[in-house]
Amino acid sequence: MTDMTRNAGKKAGPTRRGALALAGAAIGSGAITGFPTIWAQNIRNITLRQAGTGVSGLNAIAEQCKKDTGITLQLTVMDTDALAQRAATQARSFDIADIEYMTIKKVYPVGNMQAIDRKRITNADKIVPIFTTGRLTPTSNIAQGTAPHTVGFVANKTATAFQPQQTDWMTLIPTIYNADTLGIRPDLISRPIRNWKDLVDPAFKGKASILNIPGIGIMDAAMVMESLGQLRYADKGNMTRAEIDRTTAFLMEQKRAGQFRAFWKTFDESVNLMASGEVIIQSMWSPAVAAVRSRGIACTYQPLEEGYRAWGGGLGIAKHVSGLELDAAYEYLNWYLSGWTGAYLNRQGYYSAVLDTAKNFMSPAEWDFWMEGKPAAVDILAPDGKLMEKAGTVRDGGSFTERMGAVACWNSVMSEDRYMVQKWNEFIAS
Amino acid sequence: MRDVELVAVTKRYGSALAVDGIDLAIPEGSYTCLLGPSGCGKTSTLRMIAGHEMVSEGEILLAGRNVTTLPPAQRGTAMMFQSYALFPHLSARDNVAFGLRMRGVAKAERLRRADEFLDLVHLGPLADRLPAQLSGGQQQRVALARALITEPRVLLLDEPLSALDPFLRAKMREELKRLQRELGISFIHVTHSQEEAMALADLAVVMDHGRIVQAAPPRQIFERPASAFVARFIGGHNVLARGAQAISIRTDRCRLDDGAEGPRHHGHVRAVEYLGAAMRIVVVAEDGTEAEAMLPDSTPPIALGEAATLTWNAADEHALAA
Amino acid sequence: MRGAVTSWLLAAPLALVLAVFLVVPLFVLVVVSFYDYDSVRLIPDFVFTNYIEVFGSMVTWRTYAKTFSFAATVWVITLLIGFWIAYYLAFVIEGTGKRTLLFLICTIPFWTSNLIRMIAWVPFLGRNGLLNRALVGSGAIDQPLEFLLFSDFAVILAFVHLYTLFMVVPIFNTMMRIDRRLIEAAVDAGAGFWRVLWHVILPLCKPGIAIGSIFVIVLVMGDFATVRLMSGGQSASVGLMISNQISLLQYPAAAANAVVLLAVVLMMVAAILRVVDIRKEL
Repeated sequence: MTDMTRNAGKKAGPTRRGALALAGAAIGSGAITGFPTIWAQNIRNITLRQAGTGVSGLNAIAEQCKKDTGITLQLTVMDTDALAQRAATQARSFDIADIEYMTIKKVYPVGNMQAIDRKRITNADKIVPIFTTGRLTPTSNIAQGTAPHTVGFVANKTATAFQPQQTDWMTLIPTIYNADTLGIRPDLISRPIRNWKDLVDPAFKGKASILNIPGIGIMDAAMVMESLGQLRYADKGNMTRAEIDRTTAFLMEQKRAGQFRAFWKTFDESVNLMASGEVIIQSMWSPAVAAVRSRGIACTYQPLEEGYRAWGGGLGIAKHVSGLELDAAYEYLNWYLSGWTGAYLNRQGYYSAVLDTAKNFMSPAEWDFWMEGKPAAVDILAPDGKLMEKAGTVRDGGSFTERMGAVACWNSVMSEDRYMVQKWNEFIAS
Repeated sequence: MRDVELVAVTKRYGSALAVDGIDLAIPEGSYTCLLGPSGCGKTSTLRMIAGHEMVSEGEILLAGRNVTTLPPAQRGTAMMFQSYALFPHLSARDNVAFGLRMRGVAKAERLRRADEFLDLVHLGPLADRLPAQLSGGQQQRVALARALITEPRVLLLDEPLSALDPFLRAKMREELKRLQRELGISFIHVTHSQEEAMALADLAVVMDHGRIVQAAPPRQIFERPASAFVARFIGGHNVLARGAQAISIRTDRCRLDDGAEGPRHHGHVRAVEYLGAAMRIVVVAEDGTEAEAMLPDSTPPIALGEAATLTWNAADEHALAA
Repeated sequence: MRGAVTSWLLAAPLALVLAVFLVVPLFVLVVVSFYDYDSVRLIPDFVFTNYIEVFGSMVTWRTYAKTFSFAATVWVITLLIGFWIAYYLAFVIEGTGKRTLLFLICTIPFWTSNLIRMIAWVPFLGRNGLLNRALVGSGAIDQPLEFLLFSDFAVILAFVHLYTLFMVVPIFNTMMRIDRRLIEAAVDAGAGFWRVLWHVILPLCKPGIAIGSIFVIVLVMGDFATVRLMSGGQSASVGLMISNQISLLQYPAAAANAVVLLAVVLMMVAAILRVVDIRKEL
């Protein structure tokens, strides 16, 4: 009963969320019927508040989590910038942060998150090496930008400085990642698209778009610049001022020439731009491509010779989480890597951090299509049961290894972040 | 030549009849008062003459010219509005000059003329003030000057004195009359006060229910009211029955019974009012008919409820139309 | 003495609300604008770098110029449209019932959220939108008009759509207070329609025009969502610049920008109030 009281006392507050949680806790704990509570059952009654982006803030995951573990997940979905803000400034407003590695680079040093004990993560050793060593295979190159392994570890429970090597204390448990490229409307573009430079082909004047999130947008621009042979960057994820100047000058020139139809900031905007035909080539996210296709409009996630710009996210635990809630949080993280979610995400076209467990939850045909890059043996269905890809289709970009092995750079936060944002604003204002 | 002539003028608002086929001729350079209770059609009549209302039927002639369909400014009339309708954002001078400005008179010229007209109404020194900085009487003079500056043939005044206190009202009354006489134009003045009409009018037009019930010089109206309504409305008359015939008798012609021959009204006293120069008593007969008398102030005191008889000379009775 | 105490007590709740929700936040805003920052943290300090960056950057000047041009254009258009709508409602329509009904119709755009209203423009104005299809279909044009969407035209269109009502209401309000006899007096003095409008109605509507102008200008100057969505992110506004900085956790820079914007807007409002005395209206 003491635990119950503690929980109730902690959760009772003026917020609606607190009241709901209290009600949930009261009913679930058997306080009403008067049955004695036990520890394990208490975990089942915990509510974890998860703040994340729309990419992985999926109700299906919360429902499955409730079913499997009894933990109630309360999802709050916001955009990347808002999430960074929330994590940096309102640490008590969430328990779990579902956050990108490039964001954690900014947020973790603030000290609002707690390090995750690797030893308590069951499948820690099975995590894809991208997140631990930065290399997909022992021989592959480490991509430019904020590679997840560079911001994935700290020295001990209280340290806020990242460690270049693996340690037992992780900032995030990796959960989801992907390789981004250009999306195109094959029905409106007659020639093959092979390079990032095609984004600024005058043939697509007034029909191209780039995303207006400075840190990511400038990297897409950098991919274009390199593809054009105009500039070679030492690290596209950490440009020098001169490189920033040249890149934004290039963007301004393109803008003035009327190359761009619009700049997008949210998932829905990118979908609408593409679906409406306002834009026929743009930097895009893979589920956005799927969303366009699900409207019956042809849309291709076009692999490019220069490679992909990748991003990855994971789950972190807020510093204030402790005791029973912390146990629940570990329980949740372990559940996340235990396969069901991995399969669910893989089926959306993302990749999961532990492949072995996910495989157990996918049919061989699904696995072959999504992960091996083989033609679909049967019709591929979306999680909601709708037809996604007809039998015989091959996934854009091929297999997992082909895609994640061709990452040119990771989404990142630059040292010259402040300067870069100023220049980006200049570009938008030009 | 007549300044204004109304021929069978009718005004309807939807199905409501406001003015019912009136005919009226207003002589040149005269002061006419349109008089009647509220809703009698006097204001509608004035507004039709001004051109702010269109007539439903009939014709309006000004100085022999048919103006029935002309806009206000082309009629040769000017109107002074109730509560004056001065432009609150313009100084007294600019208010007065407004009509000339609309007629395209050059600035220096129109301001010079405005000052002349302000002088005419003794407001020269206040020319730069805004209406809100002027008293009611001053505002009224500005309104008057503004109406007169376009040199209308007929000035239309809509209840011009009703917003003033009684003292100012009497003064302004004199001034209106003086101006009318000096300018030699016609004034048509709407009022519900018979006193005002008596004091000012060359021609008083009593209206009721959209019709003219009597149009005549005030003295004639007072001495020979055309109907019981007129007699009652202009006041100072008792309306009594003489068999089937209604008669009126002026209250100042009635006296307390002094034994002389003549018609009488017997009853008891319901009201006694001391009015300074006179005393007013009201005598109610058994059958409830009332009659009142204006008695000299030298009359001995008389108590309420006391029996009293009023008497008058039969020759002073005036037979009323049915 | 007691009267004085009562007055203070009566004024206290509002004063408290203003203090807590206006004065304190503004004070914090000003304080933070002198802070230093890195990519995630505020560093309490007293530095002028934020202001130096605001004033030293060409972006600021260009963005202000752009924002002013939006504000001026939207102001002129909403004034023209709003004035005539108000005129129609106040002077042409007779009867309170009909007037109320038409007023309700004017508020229809506000029955849905701002965002949905703006998104709804896309299928209408887009390259393959209704308007372009109709125009191409009717043979009026050969090629779809690109400027209809994701352009300054689209931004201004959305602003006008959003804010005209803010112009209509105060102007309508002042018009309803105009004594109808003033108009008759002007007509009597020989004024035609336009001169009544110019010499009587317009001067008497000035307070309403001023209030409407303050609404519209303040709203446009501070906007970020409309500009971003309707320009397709291709145009900047001061509000958008601040919003970008906030989203990148550059609070001190955003605060400095906000302080400057606040000062600019207050000066604009002061200028309007200098021209027109709106106290008559209050």
